[in-house]
Amino acid sequence: MRSSLRLLNLEAPASQRSRNLYVCSVCRHEARPRPFVARQFLRHASDSTPITERVRRKLWGTDNPPGLKDPYGGEGVFERKFKRGQSAPQENEPEAATEAAEDAVSEDSSYEPATTWEGLQRVGHLGTWSDLPPTKADAYTSFSLNRRLTKPVHLSLAAHQTAVELSLLHTLKKPLTNICDVIEHEQPVFKLIRNCKIQPKSSGQWDSAVVYPDKETEEALVYIFEQIGGAQEAAAEVATEVAPETAEDAELAEIEAAEAEDAEFEEEVPTTPSPPFFGYRDVKDKGYLDLSLNDPITKFAFLKRFSQLTGHFFPDPVIHQISSVQHVMKHVLAEQNPKPKKLADFLVADASLQSLPNVKIFAKKQKPSHKDEELGRKKLIDAELRERGLV
Amino acid sequence: MPVQGIRTVTAARNGVGAFILQCKRLDFHYCDWAGSSRGMVSFLKNQLTAFAKENPQIEIRVSPRPHKHPVIKGHFINGREKAVCVRNLEPEQIFQKANLLKQNSGEKNKRTKKPVTSINESVRGIWSPYHGGLKGV
Repeated sequence: MRSSLRLLNLEAPASQRSRNLYVCSVCRHEARPRPFVARQFLRHASDSTPITERVRRKLWGTDNPPGLKDPYGGEGVFERKFKRGQSAPQENEPEAATEAAEDAVSEDSSYEPATTWEGLQRVGHLGTWSDLPPTKADAYTSFSLNRRLTKPVHLSLAAHQTAVELSLLHTLKKPLTNICDVIEHEQPVFKLIRNCKIQPKSSGQWDSAVVYPDKETEEALVYIFEQIGGAQEAAAEVATEVAPETAEDAELAEIEAAEAEDAEFEEEVPTTPSPPFFGYRDVKDKGYLDLSLNDPITKFAFLKRFSQLTGHFFPDPVIHQISSVQHVMKHVLAEQNPKPKKLADFLVADASLQSLPNVKIFAKKQKPSHKDEELGRKKLIDAELRERGLV
Repeated sequence: MPVQGIRTVTAARNGVGAFILQCKRLDFHYCDWAGSSRGMVSFLKNQLTAFAKENPQIEIRVSPRPHKHPVIKGHFINGREKAVCVRNLEPEQIFQKANLLKQNSGEKNKRTKKPVTSINESVRGIWSPYHGGLKGV
């Protein structure tokens, strides 16, 4: 018989029973309150091994199956409860063992309790970006000028500037998107760009489409655009080559760098925002509108630069449809004058509908009071209401 | 003086000498927001001009009816009104409904039981039990 079952003592003790009266075993069992778990024990009361063990043995085909002694979770809740009640005085032994282990840990000579948090291992930090100290990459610099140009004059100036820049880069055979490194040109440079004209040779070709007003402008612009893109890399290379060898040189370089940074910082805080394109008016040259944007690289470069200058961004379906600079301008100008959202506005704007004598369009819901007004009885109703003091 | 027969003149009926359209006004109501007015909005945008040109004798009024289904309301010269809800209908279907109201007489719909109807009086007159020959029982 299992120990757990023995603990339960399911039958009434013999001393409590009346010796004269015979009570059968079944009735004796019924007379005792018993936990429902007892049924499980009863079922296998005659077995020395539990059913789970027997199943295991059967499955493995041996009397000593491999694996844990009881892989089915050990004893049940009630079994453990009854056992604890029985073996309470015996629990002192394991407690003593754990205390001994704790003592052994505390006796470690190298252990010193910390007084401050410094030098302790940080707990709870998962190395996420927000926990790390700020780096250079975290500083945000805007891609565009943070302004949205709305006047058609400015938009055409931006398109013209973009066209001149990209055709120059096309001619110089440089990566087109490099121009986006220069967010805004200096005024003299912008003036040179503005004076240029665009005359695409055939079918909107970009190569050598720029017509310079004079030789000087051409040389200046070519010189400037040669620097764009490659300028930073070249500067970096130069810096590495001419690295300060002595400590004094290093200090001087640091001071210079600090001064330059200060100067940049001062420049970055203008007192008043400058007018877009230095207050220049529209460009007379409209040749840039004929430039083709069928080449995806050119199209991407044009839209990127144009977005940077104007603050207008293009959704993907629109980008797909665009095939020339004229389309870009059309889209941007159409954005300025959105279609009326209300049908009444649309119908009122429709000249052919307005010319018909039998059509009336109302912008507001027509109520019974409108009918009264139309039939000429509204005044009478109002007068009557006033007379009775109801209005 | 010779006996003269009574001169019969053609009875005045709509369509005999002239035809007067019974529908005098059509109101088109729509909602700018609701999706059930999509077809109506499209009809008003694209087909109303042609419809109004075709029917110069009908007054056409277009007005919004916010947060309600689109409706065409016909006003007839007999003083009655007929309204047709055109929710979720296509512009073509709305055009058919507008034509239905345009061609309507404005009378209440009646069930036609007989294959032939006439507004002429019966030639034989109404039967009376006190007239005519007595029948033997």
